[in-house]
Amino acid sequence: MISLQTVTKLYNEGRPGEVRAVDEVSLEIVRDAVTVLKGPSGSGKTTLLSIIGCMARPTSGRVLIDDRLVSGLPERFLTEERRSTFGFVFQRFNLIRGLSVLENVTLPAAPLGQDPREVEARALARLEALDLAGKAAMPVEYLSGGETQRAAIARALINDAPILIADEPTANLDTDLTHRFLDIVGALRDEGRTVIMTSHDPRIWQADHVNAVISMQDGRIVGEYA
Amino acid sequence: MTPAFRRQRALADYTLAALARRRGKNIGLVVIYALVVFVVASALLFSSALRHEADTVLAEAPELIVQNLAMGRHDMIKGDVIDDLAAIRGVTRVEGRLWGYFYDSVNGANYTLMVPLDPDRVLAPGEAMIGEGVPRVRGMFWETAPLFLSRYSGDLVRFDVVERISSESALVSTDLILLNEADFRDFFGLPGGVYTDIAVTVRNSREIETIMSKASALLPEARFITRDDISRTYQKLFSWREGIMVALAAAALLAFAIFAAEKASGLSAEEAREIGILKAVGWNMTDVIAMKLWEGALISAGAFLIGTLAGYLHVFTFQAGLFAPILKGWSVIYPDFALTPRFDGVQIAALFLITVLPYTAATLVPVWRVAAADPDQVMR
Ligand SMILES: Nc1ncnc2c1ncn2[C@@H]1O[C@H](COP(=O)(O)OP(=O)(O)OP(=O)(O)O)[C@@H](O)[C@H]1O
Ligand SMILES: [Mg+2]
Repeated sequence: MISLQTVTKLYNEGRPGEVRAVDEVSLEIVRDAVTVLKGPSGSGKTTLLSIIGCMARPTSGRVLIDDRLVSGLPERFLTEERRSTFGFVFQRFNLIRGLSVLENVTLPAAPLGQDPREVEARALARLEALDLAGKAAMPVEYLSGGETQRAAIARALINDAPILIADEPTANLDTDLTHRFLDIVGALRDEGRTVIMTSHDPRIWQADHVNAVISMQDGRIVGEYA
Repeated sequence: MTPAFRRQRALADYTLAALARRRGKNIGLVVIYALVVFVVASALLFSSALRHEADTVLAEAPELIVQNLAMGRHDMIKGDVIDDLAAIRGVTRVEGRLWGYFYDSVNGANYTLMVPLDPDRVLAPGEAMIGEGVPRVRGMFWETAPLFLSRYSGDLVRFDVVERISSESALVSTDLILLNEADFRDFFGLPGGVYTDIAVTVRNSREIETIMSKASALLPEARFITRDDISRTYQKLFSWREGIMVALAAAALLAFAIFAAEKASGLSAEEAREIGILKAVGWNMTDVIAMKLWEGALISAGAFLIGTLAGYLHVFTFQAGLFAPILKGWSVIYPDFALTPRFDGVQIAALFLITVLPYTAATLVPVWRVAAADPDQVMR
């Protein structure tokens, strides 16, 4: 269970242009399920995912992951949390330019001291599932939008993290690839993993694998259905 | 392979890929860095080689040299005085030295001809030992080639070269030709019983003043040169050159400090973002720092090696050619003077400490700052 208790996130706090990106959100996200956040642009979805994924700290409120309080932890413990708990697909992909697809995908595994051949095999299998194995050696800046998105997804899956956080993971994918992604999500859930994602895409909200949909507006939760 | 080893390997691999990606920028960095190391290494190696030359000359010099003066100029000295000098208390050895200069008009070279005092270097008539510079100017490529000297045209004297001398100091030996005493006297038309000067060895060098005053009472016309006098002469010749080298090294290091400070002042937006991404995908601060240490180590080790090697070649193979304009008057010391290659480990270690360490520290400071922040902040 991931639990948020009156979480608020202010950007530019106390300065002109202060933004209340997340406004006193209280929320419980069940494990072993797929949860989707939706809402208009600027409603605070990405910010909320960053807070859940220990990438950003809430200005106030508490975040608990399986009853562990993470919101007050210093950065070095949060890194540990990110490494052991989360895989991320960022809205802006955040791949490292100049490195190949394969190098980008294996990035999260680099500090873990695993057998490099084994890591590479895992990465290629993930790329294969997303129909991108043929581009493994290509520098990421040459990829198309959809290919970049798939590379980002493969990277998020490489460490078999218990929680996958995906911010608009299908924004650049066609129907066929969107279904492939949903299949992966379904498989992850069946393995007992947790998926939290945002989407503007009705095909995602309505997908069979999705257990809960949460609507946001102006930093608040305005609806929740399962 | 242990996980720790695999981790380092993966981080190093990443570093290599990252370095290759910004190839132009990194090559530029290595070039600037290597240039600084080159200048400092050249200066250090050069001044230490100079000092070494001087030390070697001094170590071989006797404590006291007695020269005869005639009309205020150096003249031959009679061998009779040897016994008188040897009788002074505290004197352990007195030897008449035979040496002179010979100008070889064919090759335009100057040689120092000398009769060795060293009992290990006793030469039979017709034999010679020569310094490394002699076969070089004369094109004597065969090890066994004989040496011909001509006093005037048509008069050739032949010597069999029994050894080529490779001394610790080029200053001492480059243009040296050692001959048998009889050959020497014959070559210069010198009568028996006279010497170029007389070398006096004393038991206790602190007694030198007393010994000198007794000796000058015996030989009021003579000039006495102590080892300290020679040392002062060399100091004069060497010290300002060394000073220039120190100034040059200091200037290079200052440039380097500015360069390092620029590094320390911050990362480019792209570098910061990259660290943010690495942290976001699960790298911790130690991983990022270890990766940056690899980067710093690869760049500085590469630049350091290139710079030091280039400095070494510059000083010892090309005789510090780039410094030549600053060191005009160099030939005061010697017409054809080759520095003896020397590799001073302590000096190289010092060079390493004053370049690689500050550079690495300078690169790590901003990395530390960025790596300590929340990834969300630096990734945007
Ligand atoms: N680092 C930041 N500094 C200042 N304002 C920010 C920052 N990050 C986000 N914001 C603001 O916070 C609000 C919420 O942003 P967020 O990215 O969470 O929205 P979103 O719901 O993900 O939007 P979209 O659907 O367009 O991705 C926006 O008004 C945005 O401008
Ligand atoms: Mg967003």
